[in-house]
Amino acid sequence: MTSVGLLPLRRPPRGRVLGGVAAGLAAHLDLPIGLVRLVLVLLVPLGGSGLALYVWFWVTVPAGDPTALAAQRPAALSRIAPHLRQPGRRIPLTDIGLGLLLLLGAGLLVAARQGVDLTYSWALPALLGLGGTALAWSQLDTMQRDRMLARAGGRTPVSVVRLLGGTVLTGLGIFLLVGRDEPMDDLLRSAVAAIAVLAGAALVLAPWWLRLVRELGDERAARAREAERADIAAHLHDSVLQTLALIRARASQPEDVARLARAQERELRAWLYDDRPTPGTSLAAELGIVVAEIEDARGAAIETVVVGDRVPDAATESLLQATREALVNAVVHGLAPVSLYLEVGPDLVEVFVRDHGEGFCLDDVPADRFGVRESIIGRVVRRGGTASVQCKPGRGTEVHLTLPVTAG
Amino acid sequence: MSTTDSGVVDVVLVDDHLMFRAGVRASLDATIRVLGEADDVDAAIAMVRGLRPPVVVLDVHLPGGSGGGGAEVITGCTDLLAQVRFLALSVSDAAEDVVAVIRAGARGYVTKAISGPDLSDAVRRVAGGDAVFSPRLAGFVLDAFGTAAGDVATGDHELDRLSAREREVMRLIARGYSYREVASELFISIKTVESHVSAVLRKLQLSSRHELTRWAAARRLL
Repeated sequence: MTSVGLLPLRRPPRGRVLGGVAAGLAAHLDLPIGLVRLVLVLLVPLGGSGLALYVWFWVTVPAGDPTALAAQRPAALSRIAPHLRQPGRRIPLTDIGLGLLLLLGAGLLVAARQGVDLTYSWALPALLGLGGTALAWSQLDTMQRDRMLARAGGRTPVSVVRLLGGTVLTGLGIFLLVGRDEPMDDLLRSAVAAIAVLAGAALVLAPWWLRLVRELGDERAARAREAERADIAAHLHDSVLQTLALIRARASQPEDVARLARAQERELRAWLYDDRPTPGTSLAAELGIVVAEIEDARGAAIETVVVGDRVPDAATESLLQATREALVNAVVHGLAPVSLYLEVGPDLVEVFVRDHGEGFCLDDVPADRFGVRESIIGRVVRRGGTASVQCKPGRGTEVHLTLPVTAG
Repeated sequence: MSTTDSGVVDVVLVDDHLMFRAGVRASLDATIRVLGEADDVDAAIAMVRGLRPPVVVLDVHLPGGSGGGGAEVITGCTDLLAQVRFLALSVSDAAEDVVAVIRAGARGYVTKAISGPDLSDAVRRVAGGDAVFSPRLAGFVLDAFGTAAGDVATGDHELDRLSAREREVMRLIARGYSYREVASELFISIKTVESHVSAVLRKLQLSSRHELTRWAAARRLL
């Protein structure tokens, strides 16, 4: 462990035997998993502390993939749809085992009540109750996943089943534990009475509970709204109000006003409508910066259309530089409107820069005009791309750049 | 007939900003007559039903109604779509706005940065039954339907992909070509370009393409 930070403590879905606690701890502490398991097992005879520790971690540590968490998707690929990830489908062995154990307990219990005399009859109801509690408590572990599912629009009945099953089992366990010396009839009658009382209480408390839930939801929404409003207010104050003040101060200089208004419009638009990708992960965002620079410096509008996106690299950096030169060329020597089109395909990135000026033909450009030859064409060709300039009388000029890229 | 005999196109302007309506009114040329103006969803639906103009120029963001904005106006007039055509005019570049109004039935989408002559031209085009695609809308279409050969193979349904020609037309429009320029670039007539664009619009409105859904989901539209 040198500069690499610790992986977060999560119970990974893969490589687990029971609850994934040992695997999670091993990943978190960067220790061999065998050692962690050994220590846990060795701790068991010490007053059951190993077991208690295990259960404690199981209940409190959320499930998840620690390595995936550490290496979050680096993407301004937020612009691009995420790939569907097939979760490793595994048979819920632990769940089945737990269920079988509980069934066995219940069977033994029934057998005992039917006459088979088991001296440890108190142990089974206790076991049953514990099992039910564990089932209900395992909620906590899946809660996070359920919340995510609920947000995505799905809803799993699993948590409800868990809760119901846990309640029934625990109830049964307590019931049998308390009334283990009573005759069957009395037991049944008191069970019915107990259930009736519970149902009555639920009926009375339901509206109160519902109101509580609703109020909680309302409050949460209100808080989110409040935070958003504060966010917007702060942003408006920082940018828009400042710009308006500047515009008022320079009302006599129309060029400045136009430039300020355009810059502010672009910024506000980006803030309102675009995803905010992490810097250095989106070619589209970098192109946007280049366009903004030129628009501000030259006082011209560039109609920009971008299709697709990718993570920029050295080659696309050259392409961007060439695009910048082509845009400057179009803005300075051409006529408005200037259009820019960037298309990112799986193996080719294409850029079109178009203006409506008289244009220039490549053959007419003297060899000493460093601008076009070197800064636009040379840059792209060195990276294995192509560059061409097309101009037709009355139809403007179009610079076409292509750059082969590897899929990524 | 969508235009009157004199060649004048009647329009209704729907926008909640008085200043902007005044600006649009002033920038439209003499062949376009503004019949009326409305400033929210309910007023707009009532006015369109009353006047039945051939073209409604409609802002995407409108107050009133149940909050659906321009798309709600169009859905409120679905039965009139054969006579009344909607041209969406928006300050917003946001994909959800574009997709919402186009799928509701708008025949075109332009941004408010458009010049007066271009807007007049767009109105006439929509009145004539054509679709109007801004470069940015063409970009959205390419983004949604996929540009590369790899994207074509995923769906068999005719609605779910663009033909090679349609893709070429969309790319040229995204590159800032006018219909006339697209026509001469591809050596086809303007009418053919218009029919390609209308076909793309139809696909955009009707496609249940999985890529379109994925694309929308990636932009949190669903």
